[in-house]
Amino acid sequence: MEGFIDMLPEECVSTILSFTCPTDTFRSSMVSSIFHSAAESDVVWERFLPDDYKDVVSRLVTPLAFTTKKELFLCLCNPVLIDGGRKSFKLEKLFGKISYMLSARELSITWGNDPMQWSWKSIPQSRFPEVAELRTTCWLEIRGKINTQILSPMTRYGVYLIMKISNRAYGLDSIPSEMLVEVGNKVCNGMTHLRHEDGKKQQMECLFYRNRTEVLRKRVIEGTERFLSEREDGWMEIELGEFFSSEAYEEVKMSLMEVKGYQLKGGLIIEGIEVRPIYRFMKECLR
Amino acid sequence: MALELKSSDNKIFEVEELVAVQSETIKSLVEDGCADNVIPLPNVDSKTLELVLDWCKNHVDMKLDEEKLKEYEDKFIEVDQAVLYDLLLAANYLNIKDLLNRACQKVADMLKGKTPEQIRETLNIVNDFSPEEEEEIRKENLWAFEE
Repeated sequence: MEGFIDMLPEECVSTILSFTCPTDTFRSSMVSSIFHSAAESDVVWERFLPDDYKDVVSRLVTPLAFTTKKELFLCLCNPVLIDGGRKSFKLEKLFGKISYMLSARELSITWGNDPMQWSWKSIPQSRFPEVAELRTTCWLEIRGKINTQILSPMTRYGVYLIMKISNRAYGLDSIPSEMLVEVGNKVCNGMTHLRHEDGKKQQMECLFYRNRTEVLRKRVIEGTERFLSEREDGWMEIELGEFFSSEAYEEVKMSLMEVKGYQLKGGLIIEGIEVRPIYRFMKECLR
Repeated sequence: MALELKSSDNKIFEVEELVAVQSETIKSLVEDGCADNVIPLPNVDSKTLELVLDWCKNHVDMKLDEEKLKEYEDKFIEVDQAVLYDLLLAANYLNIKDLLNRACQKVADMLKGKTPEQIRETLNIVNDFSPEEEEEIRKENLWAFEE
């Protein structure tokens, strides 16, 4: 049987590819020379870029060099700083879904402006100009917000606090921290112990302090318990919750709080809050 | 007002102007005053033209009923590959945007999640790369083949 598609003009093939996704387009570019050429077209990559990409590009801290929309797409698959370094933006390469990281400066940290409680400094491991380090406080409250308008629609997102616990940390895990992600009337609760998982140490503590631990724990709102995990960039992260970006524009409120323990705590370093698509949901779309 | 369209195999179709101008190509002919006589469409055969005109007519009739229109479009595009490409080419030539997009979407759905070999098989495409070219492109796009 004749290859009917060989009769199509290249611009039609580009239009066809624009209805797929970046992954399918890269695979298709290997099919034949017409597909390879059609896959380079701006017609295709314009559709994969976010609707507001021109606005995002105008807010870049460092301008990007690109000649084609495909090059721009690939550049944006690496995190780029925008808004004077207060946020970073990234596209994930499989479907071009949007993700953001809000720097510590972009968040509301209660008592963040009190130099006795929080210190702000520049460290090489951070992508942002500043991180916030907790010196001492009895009231730990970190809040962030983002509007679904700037995210990819109809996507399941996870919210993560990006941080480190320094060696001289204290008081952070006496009582679990409460985590919340709220969109419209949907609420996702969670809780975590802000500590490096050290099985042996925790076993000992359980033995000696079990009663006290349980009493303190009862003060905390019940929610899924989550654990810190290590990231590839050297930071740790804890999932605050997840949400679904519907077609309506909604404000997402995200927070981590430890305000019921009253004990002093310190040694927490905040890089920011990341809002990114949940990979396992995206993988299902590939089948 | 009615227009006359002639397919590549010399069949004449009488069509209402409102229906025919769904095609941007025909619309500009009308606006330029060139539509008084029979309009020849040498790139579209009668079988395809009949289908295309059915699409256009239904888009005029069902303009206000989104659900009914979607049902019609989904059923309309369930055709075999040969007909699909004829529709695509006709829609491209006649510049009927919604038909072109729908037909392209249908072909796009056939590509989703497939490897290059599977795409060639589904769409009957010949691999015209040399082994060296193929290797180079594979290297370029390595990440698209990772899990």
